[in-house]
Amino acid sequence: MRVVLSNSSGIPLYQQIKEQVGAAVLTGELAEGEALPSVRALARDLRISIITTTRAYAELAAEGFISTVPGKGAYVLPLDSALVREQLLRQVEEGLQTALDAARRAGLGRDDVVRILDGLLDSEYEHA
Amino acid sequence: MNAVFRATVLHMRSVAPYRTQFLLVLALMVVLDLRSPTGLMVATAVILAPYLAVQPFQIADKADLTTLYAVLPVTRRAVLLAYYAWAVVVYLGALIVGTALSYVAARVEGDAFGGGQLTTLLTMSWALFAVNVAVQFPLLIRFGYTRVNVLATILPIALIMLAAYKLHLTIDAGQVWLPLLGVAGAAVLVISATLTAHVFRHPE
Amino acid sequence: MPETPAFALRGVNCAVGNGFALRDVGFELPTGYVMGLIGANGAGKTTTIRCLLGMRGIDSGEIELLGRRVPGSVSLRQDVGVVLDHTYFVGEWRLAEVERTLRPFYDRWDGARYRQLLDEFGLDPKARVKNLSRGMAMKLMIAVALSHRARLLVFDEPTSGLDPVARAELVGIIGDFLLDEGHSVLFSTHITADLDRIGDFVTLIHDGRVVDTGPKDEILDAYRVVRGGPDELTDLIGVELIGARRSPAGVEALVRTDEAGLLDGRVLVEAPTLEEIAIHIGLSSARPALRTRTRGAAA
Repeated sequence: MRVVLSNSSGIPLYQQIKEQVGAAVLTGELAEGEALPSVRALARDLRISIITTTRAYAELAAEGFISTVPGKGAYVLPLDSALVREQLLRQVEEGLQTALDAARRAGLGRDDVVRILDGLLDSEYEHA
Repeated sequence: MNAVFRATVLHMRSVAPYRTQFLLVLALMVVLDLRSPTGLMVATAVILAPYLAVQPFQIADKADLTTLYAVLPVTRRAVLLAYYAWAVVVYLGALIVGTALSYVAARVEGDAFGGGQLTTLLTMSWALFAVNVAVQFPLLIRFGYTRVNVLATILPIALIMLAAYKLHLTIDAGQVWLPLLGVAGAAVLVISATLTAHVFRHPE
Repeated sequence: MPETPAFALRGVNCAVGNGFALRDVGFELPTGYVMGLIGANGAGKTTTIRCLLGMRGIDSGEIELLGRRVPGSVSLRQDVGVVLDHTYFVGEWRLAEVERTLRPFYDRWDGARYRQLLDEFGLDPKARVKNLSRGMAMKLMIAVALSHRARLLVFDEPTSGLDPVARAELVGIIGDFLLDEGHSVLFSTHITADLDRIGDFVTLIHDGRVVDTGPKDEILDAYRVVRGGPDELTDLIGVELIGARRSPAGVEALVRTDEAGLLDGRVLVEAPTLEEIAIHIGLSSARPALRTRTRGAAA
């Protein structure tokens, strides 16, 4: 599991862990059923407080990414749970919104945007 | 065995690294007083023994062993009593060494050795050593080695002993009192130990 | 969270020789976590630790250590390891001798572990205590504590006089120790950088009193640093400036977060570091008003 913490980002440490582990689950980098280090082992390895890692894991569990076993550790939950699907949907929406903002600034019309999206979808499914 | 025994071993181990230094003191006394077998014995019992007896205090001060005693699972009472146990062990050790050396010296010089004179000397030195420890230890425990002038408490007693010996005051005159003196020495020691262990049982 | 705290002090008062004292000191650490005891030199950190360990008597109050009353049976010390800024072993002892001397006192002494730890820490069993550097001496005391299977490690100023490498090693050792949920750590320090990351709980002590105690993040959230021009931050109503530092260029102080909203919009209000909190509390000559901060259920 890869977690890289920034001291100067202004984002709380637990938030950084949560985002990075969550992202790794979503990209499939952390596969379903994979074991994560225990809260205490992660705290030791990152040299941060136990309360911080506990909080990160608790929030990841609440969002359906992982399941924690008291005293043991945590493992990655299957991706198709409703909560994760919602997460992914939100990411799709956010991504498309960013694209639309850019399109507006570039002066692209509705048809242009749809054509680009179609093109991307075609190449995506050709490869698949 | 019990806590006092373990604490006594602890005192012994704190003093152990300095053994060469004590052997030098002993050697010095042998050189200085080899002419007189009895003098040698008096010297070991009245100078070497008290000197060794206070070493655990000196080292405790130097190495902050009071903290060690407070950290180790051992009661303060056991540590305090062990100071006395150590003193008795030291006295017996000094006595054995002193007697052996005196015996050798007597053989070399062709002097008579043993009998009433020996008993008197042993009892006298024991009583004086006991009084010495009984007075010194509570002070050392309360104030620490650096704040108590050990010489001030040893010297008067050592001088009395030496004077008594040199003037041959006691050799015959004291015979009747000897058993009493021996018991009194032990009693003074026990009383001092009991009181100390009670009064100073709490930290600071 | 386990029911029994690693330790708890409640309403502890302790008179010390020259008038110094602990006054109504109370704080506790849940089992399994690290607490930093922060305060300036002379604030009462060492006295607090000595009272907690039963090395000093208290005049009133209550102390509980690993579920038992202090002062109490010395068998409690089987479970406690103490690391000071100096060793409390005879300087002439070799490290192997340290083991031989201490071993008889501990029920659960693990000689193999001691030798393994010495090896891990790069300590030579034939070295003498007096020849150890500051960092090595600290590791020796830790090795002793871990060899008798202490459940609580108490450090008094462990990092003073340590180089950055040794301090980083200490953080690693504490992390390893805390892998066991039954283990807890208390350490006193005036170098808060050590705590900024690994501390779970923080107790701020000033002038013999506890100024604040709780989970570190809550303490950090409870204060704000404010900075303003030379004429600003005067005649404040409803806002207490803690340890204000004024200079011709401006003023800097600590305020409680719930009061920060009352400040003039022109002053700069920022989240503090532990160091800033410690500095301003140390600067406040009058003792800071002890208002009970609403404490969330501990962690």
